Amino acid sequence: MDNQGIEIKNVSKKYNNAGNEIAVLHDISLTIKPGDYIGLMGMNGAGKSTLIRMLNGLIKPGEGKIHINGMDTADSDNMTSIRKLVGVVFQNPDNQLICPVIEEEIAFGPENLGLPLSEINQRVNWALHAVEMEKMKHHSPHLLSGGQKQKIALASILAMLPSYLVLDEPFAMLDPVSRWELLAQIRRLNTEHNITIILSSHNPEDFMHAKRLIVLDHGSIYLQGSPREVYSQDGKLAAIGLEAPGIYQLIRQLQQAGCYFSDNPNSIQELVEIICQK
Amino acid sequence: MPKIIDVKELDFIYMPGSPYEQNALKNISFSLDEGEFLGIFGPNGSGKSTLVQLFNGLLSPGRGTVTVCDTDTADKKLRQQLWKKVSLVFQYPEQQIFQISVYDEVAYGPRNLGISETEVRQRVYLALEQVGLIPEETIGVTPISLSGGMRRRVAIAGMLALNPEILVMDEPMAGLDPIGRKLILDIINNRKEHKLTSVMTSHNLKEIIAIADKIAIMDSGCLVFFGAVSELLENNNILAKYRLELPDHIQLLSALAERGLKVNTNIRSLNEAALEILRLLA
Amino acid sequence: MTGIKIGQYVHGDSFLHSLDPRIKIICCIVIMVSVLINYSWYYLLFHLLLIIMAIKASGLSFRFMSGCLRSIRYLLLVTFVLQIFLTPGEAVLSLGRISISQEGLLIASINLLRLLILFFGSLLLIMTTSPIKLSAGIEFLLLPLNKLNIPVHHFTTILSISFRFIPTLIEEATIIKNAQRSRGAQFDSPNLIVRLKSYMAIIIPLFEASLLRAEELGEAMDSRCYTGHPNQLRMSSLKLMGKDLVLLGFMFLVLGIGISISLGSS
Repeated sequence: MDNQGIEIKNVSKKYNNAGNEIAVLHDISLTIKPGDYIGLMGMNGAGKSTLIRMLNGLIKPGEGKIHINGMDTADSDNMTSIRKLVGVVFQNPDNQLICPVIEEEIAFGPENLGLPLSEINQRVNWALHAVEMEKMKHHSPHLLSGGQKQKIALASILAMLPSYLVLDEPFAMLDPVSRWELLAQIRRLNTEHNITIILSSHNPEDFMHAKRLIVLDHGSIYLQGSPREVYSQDGKLAAIGLEAPGIYQLIRQLQQAGCYFSDNPNSIQELVEIICQK
Repeated sequence: MPKIIDVKELDFIYMPGSPYEQNALKNISFSLDEGEFLGIFGPNGSGKSTLVQLFNGLLSPGRGTVTVCDTDTADKKLRQQLWKKVSLVFQYPEQQIFQISVYDEVAYGPRNLGISETEVRQRVYLALEQVGLIPEETIGVTPISLSGGMRRRVAIAGMLALNPEILVMDEPMAGLDPIGRKLILDIINNRKEHKLTSVMTSHNLKEIIAIADKIAIMDSGCLVFFGAVSELLENNNILAKYRLELPDHIQLLSALAERGLKVNTNIRSLNEAALEILRLLA
Repeated sequence: MTGIKIGQYVHGDSFLHSLDPRIKIICCIVIMVSVLINYSWYYLLFHLLLIIMAIKASGLSFRFMSGCLRSIRYLLLVTFVLQIFLTPGEAVLSLGRISISQEGLLIASINLLRLLILFFGSLLLIMTTSPIKLSAGIEFLLLPLNKLNIPVHHFTTILSISFRFIPTLIEEATIIKNAQRSRGAQFDSPNLIVRLKSYMAIIIPLFEASLLRAEELGEAMDSRCYTGHPNQLRMSSLKLMGKDLVLLGFMFLVLGIGISISLGSS
C-alpha cells in the first residue's frame, strides 16, 4: 500500500481555560514512515502528550488532519482500526493497569478485539516473552516495581500487535536500571519486529537509539534532525530549557576551547579513543 | 561540627513476625554534620524511602539508634514532635495538597506549630519566594488549577514554611523537566549558604553528585557506600560498579584513567572536566 | 500491624481453596437461605458443625477465626441484648420495669447462632477465594442476566477494577497520612474536631487522585478498544471437578431437609 505511515498535516489545537484560549499545538506537520524511530523531546507542557493522544484518536485535532495508514483520526468509524494499529503506553504505570492479574491485563486488548481464546493465549505468551516477564503471568500488578509495571503496560499494548508503538514519557517514574532495560526492549521491537516507535521524554539520554528527533516548544516544532544534529545545537536547546547529553556538552566546550576533532565523536567511547590517540 | 544525624547499627523490618515481613534496612551506620547536604542514591526499593522516614520520626528504629537533632527517635513522645524540626517532603508531594488556596496549603504546617497568624503569613510569603513563586500573585490561587510542576513547588513551600533544621526530600526530581530540577538544586544551594542541613534521595546519581557534600549509596537495604563525593570519585570499586549512573564527563575521565592516562578523576563539574582534558591534550 | 487483616484473601492450597469459586458462592448462598428459613436448634447446630468442619478444611486457625469475632462483637452484643429485653413473654428475671423473658432468651440465642453462621460462612468464602476467582465466579453466575439485556460485563469490569485498586488505594492513603503527619496533622488528637479535620487532609487528596486515575484509566481502556467484552480467559480458568458436584449435591440436600422440616412444623 502506498498510504502506509502517519501523516500529520497542519495540526493545531486550542484549549479553553476559564475563558482564555490556550494553544497547545500550533501548525504541526510531520510524516512518520513505517519502521521509523522518532524521539519527541520537549519540556512539560510543550504539547508532547496532546500530540501523542491525537495519534490514536483520544484527542481530535482542532485544525488540520492526521491520517494513520490513510485513515482519518477524526472519523469515529475508524477508531477501532486505528487503535489496533497505534498502541499507546502512558507515563504512569499504575494508572494504566486495569486488571487484578497480569495474564488478564495483557489479554484485555485481544479480548476486546473479539479474538478466539487460543489466539488470546498465544498473544499473551508472546507479549510476556517479548518483555521477559513470563514468570509473572499469574501475579497481581500491585506487587510489582514501577519498572515491571511499565513492562506489563508495554506487553499489554504489544498483545494487540500494533504497527506503531507510541510511548508517552514511559521512563518518568522509573530508575535508571529499569529505564535501560525498557529502552533495550523498545529498540529490539524496532529492529527485530519492525515496529515503528514514537517515544517522548525530556531526558536527552532516552533518545540514543532514535533515528529522528523532534523538539517541541510551546506547541510548535522547534528543531528536528538526527540526534547528533539536534544535540550539536546545544545552545538552541538551552534557550528553551532543554539540555543535550553531557557528552555533547563536553565536546562543545572542548571545541570552543580550540580542540579540533576530525570526525565528530558522539559517544563516551569514541571520545576516549580520540583522546588516547592524540 | 556537631552531628545533626547520627545512625548507629540500624536495622528496620516491616511487619515483623507476619507473613508480609520485609527486611528493609540492614546494619546501617553513618553520621551527618550540621549544614551538609546528603544525597542518598539507590534504585527503587533499595530502602531509601524507609531510611528518610526514620529521620523525621514517622518510623522508629527496629534495632540500633537513630539520633536526629539530638532527639533519640526510639522515644515515642520525642519522636512525635520531630516533624517540627525535620521536614520530610514525600514523593510526588503535589498529590498531598488538600486546601482550596495556595496560602492555606502552605500555612497548614506553620499553623499546626501554633504560631501567630502574622508570623504564619511571613513564613508563607518567604517560602513561596524560595520556590520561585511570587506570593502576591499565587496565594489566592486554587492549587488544583496549577500544573503538576507548580503544585510540587507549592507542596515544597509548605515544608519550607516550617523553617526546618533539616529538609529531607524523597525523590523530589522525579518527573520534573530541567527547569524544575534546577529549582530543587537552587533550594538546596540556598540552604547550604545559610548553613542549613538538607537530605535528598534520588535514583539518579547524576542529579546529586554535582552538589552533594556526602553521598550514601543504598542497595537492597544495605549501605554500600558512605562518604564525601571526593572519596567516591577515588573509589575505583564503586566507580566501576556504578559507572553508567555517573555523569558523562566523570565516566570519560575514569575511562581515560583506566587506559593508563595520568588524569585527575576527582572532578565534579563539566567545566572542570573540560579543563582537565584540555590540560591532557596540551 | 498484626499481619493478616480480616476478610483479606489468605493464600493456600487447602480443600476449601481448591473448590470451584462458583460452587463456593452457591454453597454460601444455600447456607444463608437454610439458616434463615429454619430455626430449629438441631438444624442450626448442624450448620455450626458444618462451619467448624469448613474452617478445619480451610487451613485457617481456629484462634484466628474466633479472633475475627472481635470486629463484630458490638453487633452481636446489641442484637442479643435487645432481643432478650424486647421480646414479650414469660419473665425469667426482672430488673425493675424491664424483664428478660424466656422466649427472648431463646430467640436471641437462635439469632446469635444464625449471625455466627452467616458471618463465618461469608468470611470463609472471601478468605479462601482469590479476588480473581471470586469475580470469575460472580461473572459466571450473573451471565444469564445478559439475556435480559443487563450489561453484566461492564459490571464485572467495575468489580475487577475495584479488586485491582483496593491495595493501591490503601497504600496511597498510608503515604498521604504520613505526609500530613509530617506537617503536624494530629490523627490521634483527643479533640474530635481536630481529628476530623486531619482526616479531611487524607480524604481530599485521595479523592482528587482517584479522579485523575479514573481519567487516565479511561484513556488506557479506550486505547485498548474497550467494549465490555466477555472474559474468555477468565471464564476458561473455571473448572468443575467431582468434589465440587458432590459438595453442591450435599448442600442442596441439607437445604431440602431444612425446607421440609420448616414446612412440616408450620
